[in-house]
Amino acid sequence: MTLGNIENRERFLSNIRDKIGGLSADKPVQKPNWSTQPQYRVLKDQNQDQLIKVLKDQCKHIHTDFYHTDEQHLDETLNEIFEEYGVRSIVYTCDSRFQDHKVDTSLKQSGLDTWEWDDNEKEASIQFSEKADVGITFSDITLAESGTVVLFNGQGKGRSVSLLPQNYIAIIPKSTIVKRMTQATEKIHKQVENGEDISSCINFITGPSNSADIEMNLIVGVHGPIRAAYVVVDDI
Amino acid sequence: MKVSLFITCLGDVFYVNAGKSAVELLEHLGCEVDFPETQTCCGQPAYNSGYHRETKEVAKHMIEVMEDADYVVGISGSCVYMIHEYMHLFEEDSKWRDRAIALKEKSYELTQFIVDVLNIEDVGASYQAIATYHTSCHMTRLLGVQEAPFKLLEKVKGLELVDLPNRQDCCGFGGTFAVKMSNISEQMVDEKVDHIEETKANLLLGADGSCLMNIGGRISRRDKQVEVKHIAEILNSRGDR
Amino acid sequence: MPMQIGEKEFKQRVTKGLDDNFMRGAVRSAQGRLQNNRASAADELGDWEDWRTLGKEIRQHTIEHLDYYLHQLSEKVAELGGNVFFAETAEEANEYVKNVVKSKNAKKIAKSKSMVTEEISMNEALEELGCDVVETDLGEYILQMDDHDPPSHIVAPALHKNKEQIRDVFRDKLGYEKTEKPEELALFAREKLREEFLSAEVGITGCNFAVAESGSFALVTNEGNARMVTTLPETQITVMGMERIVPGWEELDIVVSLLTRAAVGQKLTSYITALTGPKQSEEGDGPEEFHLVIVDNGRSKILGTEFQEALHCIRCAACINVCPVYRHVGGHAYGSIYPGPIGAVLSPLLSDYDEYKDLPYASSLCGACTEVCPVKIPLHEQLIAHRRNIIEEDKKGSLAEKVAMKGFGQMAGSANLYQMATKMAPILSTPFSSKNQIRKGLGPLKHWTESRDFPKPANESFRSWFKQRNKRGVQHDVRKH
Repeated sequence: MTLGNIENRERFLSNIRDKIGGLSADKPVQKPNWSTQPQYRVLKDQNQDQLIKVLKDQCKHIHTDFYHTDEQHLDETLNEIFEEYGVRSIVYTCDSRFQDHKVDTSLKQSGLDTWEWDDNEKEASIQFSEKADVGITFSDITLAESGTVVLFNGQGKGRSVSLLPQNYIAIIPKSTIVKRMTQATEKIHKQVENGEDISSCINFITGPSNSADIEMNLIVGVHGPIRAAYVVVDDI
Repeated sequence: MKVSLFITCLGDVFYVNAGKSAVELLEHLGCEVDFPETQTCCGQPAYNSGYHRETKEVAKHMIEVMEDADYVVGISGSCVYMIHEYMHLFEEDSKWRDRAIALKEKSYELTQFIVDVLNIEDVGASYQAIATYHTSCHMTRLLGVQEAPFKLLEKVKGLELVDLPNRQDCCGFGGTFAVKMSNISEQMVDEKVDHIEETKANLLLGADGSCLMNIGGRISRRDKQVEVKHIAEILNSRGDR
Repeated sequence: MPMQIGEKEFKQRVTKGLDDNFMRGAVRSAQGRLQNNRASAADELGDWEDWRTLGKEIRQHTIEHLDYYLHQLSEKVAELGGNVFFAETAEEANEYVKNVVKSKNAKKIAKSKSMVTEEISMNEALEELGCDVVETDLGEYILQMDDHDPPSHIVAPALHKNKEQIRDVFRDKLGYEKTEKPEELALFAREKLREEFLSAEVGITGCNFAVAESGSFALVTNEGNARMVTTLPETQITVMGMERIVPGWEELDIVVSLLTRAAVGQKLTSYITALTGPKQSEEGDGPEEFHLVIVDNGRSKILGTEFQEALHCIRCAACINVCPVYRHVGGHAYGSIYPGPIGAVLSPLLSDYDEYKDLPYASSLCGACTEVCPVKIPLHEQLIAHRRNIIEEDKKGSLAEKVAMKGFGQMAGSANLYQMATKMAPILSTPFSSKNQIRKGLGPLKHWTESRDFPKPANESFRSWFKQRNKRGVQHDVRKH
């Protein structure tokens, strides 16, 4: 990869250094021991089933439909949602989990217009997503406290899939559920520490898009999806 | 217990009954009250206006005046808070800073002193009225006295205490703010008077003369039938007297 | 000054605000809602004070080592193939962005909400190039359509407008034909803006927090427009105030949790989007090219001063949402794109006292702002510090006030003079009072009595009562404990 340019840095930083009496920028700064760490107390000692309950309750606050099923009944549940949302066209990410859990077969057999995201067909993929009734992704990490699905977008997993369609469905393997954002950022921090590449676009998605810009009235559905559904799947 | 009363400017000149009541109340509760005569204003008007050199002179004077007191008890949360702030005026003068800290540590607002130091909640008062209580900002947020006035008022026989809507809102006094930004201040105090009216109380109580002067002044201008009293006056009312 | 908005005179702006009943109604109801949401989100955590403490520690540490973390950030961004430009002034920042836009030959630019680009007037600079710059945050879009009405709030920029006014703007400027229902208005904007997103060549975002350890940028939104801006255009430019940075992801967790709760009472907003570099070569959507502009524009003047904590601000607007002065005068009265308590602290620092000497006085010092600040900035104390600077360093106090305060210092610092003054009070005020109230005051009291009565001094002061009482040897009713 070509390195990017850095312009005007030395003058800018030495001005700051003069003001705060900072050390040389090359010498690593040690983070202090924080006097308190309340983030680890949130939902402490809650097991996976209790966290599902927390997630379910939170869905009420974030205008998100909640479903709980198992691998065997996943296609039934999805069809139920398609019917409810009046879905005729579907875009989903190119993610092996769709094959692993036979979701792609059932989508293709559904008789609906389907499109698997294709990085090599960027324009066509965006155009399909833009008109699609629903976008479906798997959740990579799921935050019970806030009702958030975390998506590591990347190869095959287009950013547009969870953004452009009218509706959004997140398939949530039970094992991806953690307490809160703390556990997700900890994982990403470890990746960084180990020198691994992190996803170029990590989305923390909490329900459908909304706005309160008009008289602070909450309007659900602004630029992104207007409705959202979470499907928690046991055993995967 | 020996208590030196800190009367404050408004208490000395305008709300004389509040000061008298505080003396009688403290004596009733077993304290010996003295009044260091050379005490002056706490200096807050100058401090909040940015005149910190002038404030320092006032602070030094007050520190000297109150130096021998066992406890300093003031009848205004805001002025007591100003005394607590003195230490910040002497960041570079450790001698005065230490004396300021010593004063801070023995200075209390009246209700705070009764509840936290004397450990008394029932002062044996009785008063017939429907009242609401204004929580003044400096006393509540900065001095941190939140519960004491309510604990004391709850025990006053005959007194029905009604919650004041939006009680956390400032009444718009703010010292020179009321004069410098009088049109904004007017809107704030009007809102406060509206809320007081909503409670249907016939008595407004508070522990800060300045807020009471502000709200009372607006109540009077709008010809509302709400009496305004300092909390000490109610706590010193006893059926047997 | 680019961040300056509205009429020149503070007094005129205040009067205009106080006279605007539409605006005041809108602000009052918004404040009520936001205050409740924030309070219940804070209560729900149970240990909000610990969260605030941690937030403060993180911000303090970061700003104390800002040179280190900005260096680390820029290294990481460059490693990922992004370009970094450090801009000391607004002009330098705008020049750089203009050059990027020119090199792309871009005609349409989609922007997500960013206060720093407002601060440096980036839109105007880009419009000089003949570009079509589209604000895509719903509130910002409404303002842009309304002939660039300035924002009045840092989180909800169109807070001062009600839905009827918004309907009229859409009708007059965009041919909107439906009602003032917020849902219909929003749907209309969604359709209009979709076209813009799909055709924009450059996307510009602000930055809630940069993450130094990985060269990432977190954008905190609800609408999804920032995602659009960073998904569809080929080129992305992110503009950040130099203090908007955290050391790592673990700290990002804390500041984001504080921000969303303090700003809108949400556990997390609908979208927290963390972007790291341009898209990878094997990916389909996302920007091919990424530019980061780090802006100083007066911030470094604040470092190392007693106001350094103002740079801890995470722009949640909680202080604005509880401020009673803001409630009555609205955001435009502050004359700065940063209104409310934080605006009154920050605006004179980023600009100067000539421009903003009135703002530190636009507060009753009630301390509500300090109480809610999620990173514990002592806002009301900073306002007092400004006042002290204005008086002692800048010598901008009025002569009358100076004389009065000198006199006050001498009087209150001397027992004799003070006692004389308290004795004089009833005598001096007698001619102006009726019954127990003064209805028409003189001097500084004139402003007071324009709207309030002033009490008449008691005939006998407390101190003389106390003296007399002791002389009479009143039996002290002392109950023994």
